[in-house]
Amino acid sequence: MSDQELQVNIIAELKTVIDPDLHKDIVSLGFVKNMEVKDGNVKFQVELTTPACPVKEQLKTECETKVSAVKGVKSVDVEMTAEVRAAEHSQPILTNVKNIIAVASGKGGVGKSTVSVNLAMALQMSGAKVGLMDADIYGPSIPKMLGIPITPPKGGADNKFFPHEQYGLKVVSAAFLQKEGVPLMLRGPMLGGIIQQFLQNVEWGELDYLVIDLPPGTGDVQLTLTQRAPISGAVVVTTPQEVSLIDAEKGVRMFESVKVPLLGIVENMSYFICDGCDKKHHIFKSGGGNALAEKFKIPFLTDIPLVSAVVEGGDKGVPIIMADPSSPATKAYTKLAGQVASQLSIIHADKDKPASTFELNWEG
Amino acid sequence: MPEEKSSKSANPAPKNIKQIDPTNLGITWTDGHESVYKVRHLRESCPCANCIDEWTGVKRLDPNSIPENIRPTKLHSVGLYAIQFSWSDGHDTGLYSHDLMRKLCQCIECQ
Repeated sequence: MSDQELQVNIIAELKTVIDPDLHKDIVSLGFVKNMEVKDGNVKFQVELTTPACPVKEQLKTECETKVSAVKGVKSVDVEMTAEVRAAEHSQPILTNVKNIIAVASGKGGVGKSTVSVNLAMALQMSGAKVGLMDADIYGPSIPKMLGIPITPPKGGADNKFFPHEQYGLKVVSAAFLQKEGVPLMLRGPMLGGIIQQFLQNVEWGELDYLVIDLPPGTGDVQLTLTQRAPISGAVVVTTPQEVSLIDAEKGVRMFESVKVPLLGIVENMSYFICDGCDKKHHIFKSGGGNALAEKFKIPFLTDIPLVSAVVEGGDKGVPIIMADPSSPATKAYTKLAGQVASQLSIIHADKDKPASTFELNWEG
Repeated sequence: MPEEKSSKSANPAPKNIKQIDPTNLGITWTDGHESVYKVRHLRESCPCANCIDEWTGVKRLDPNSIPENIRPTKLHSVGLYAIQFSWSDGHDTGLYSHDLMRKLCQCIECQ
């Protein structure tokens, strides 16, 4: 059999490898790239839509097994790569940012900033270029959690400024715009002004993902962001108690009413694992996040355990995902990043999307 | 993982928005529906707090106060959920959500 014929057989075999999220085979999805077949030795790349793909290894093994089984194949070399697909948007802001993820909650104190920081780090550690915007103007806590000293941002041309950088993440926060410990006391219009600055004047460079840590609730900042920023999807964080779930539901409804796709629900502080055993103690009840996700028919992304090391990590400025790779919380955050990335890929693959942003000048 | 997400399956959204002639706006929706709007009807239905009382929902706008030859000057999308119109009478505070636009459709099927 010639190498050419062999290649045809290999492609046919790869057409049986289905991406479990996108429900299509990897050949039709255009994931298979640069195939070389020489004397029965096969080499190709599989380009996924995110480096954080939770089924990367599974797909690689499936490709190797199936191609090896093709008659005439002597060796198989599969390289897994990723090119993050961009959301389509024509708003003249954040044009070099491929995906914008809003992290929200109805209620404060559910660990939204902790989730944002660790989610951003998990995406970054998967190999993506990631930015983190601390949109909690009144209570900015991201710099503390990442151990970034409070210094004014470096200015650029045209009123632009550069984000701070830490652990490979690019970060903007209102904390950098004020003296440490001094509260920002602002009325609504000023608040919107700061958010507008964050959207228009930051030199992010190219980003695969921009994670926006929203303040709690459904107020000015959330509205300005949903009206001005082309948000690709929102993650709603809740804790298992009913009082938190009631407000999380409001958060979900807010995003529904402004048509921002919901990537799913995260249940934080879901259970406690003590030092002595592996038993999960559901101290604040359990299953609420899952029930909320089912009610709105949106994905339940993951539950995150209550681990004291998470708090220590936040206070020391080293997120748990970096401080302790073996922590159950780290595993949960890695899973979360994978789920968020695949939900975004699913949204981008949806052909029936509404028109993105438009402007029309009326004639006559 | 649930197959369908309520945020995209729930309500249709505009897929294509265009001017048909000086007094008519056309929208093709993601579910295939085609709407044609008289621009005057849209101006009269402005949902902003000046035109509709925010607390009582009572209409405050007197249709007779709208100029005979009212036209939009410009329209643009707001986020992923609404359309904002600027009108030839200088009014521009109304955000018409996609759901409202769909309700305002005056075709035989919708009315």
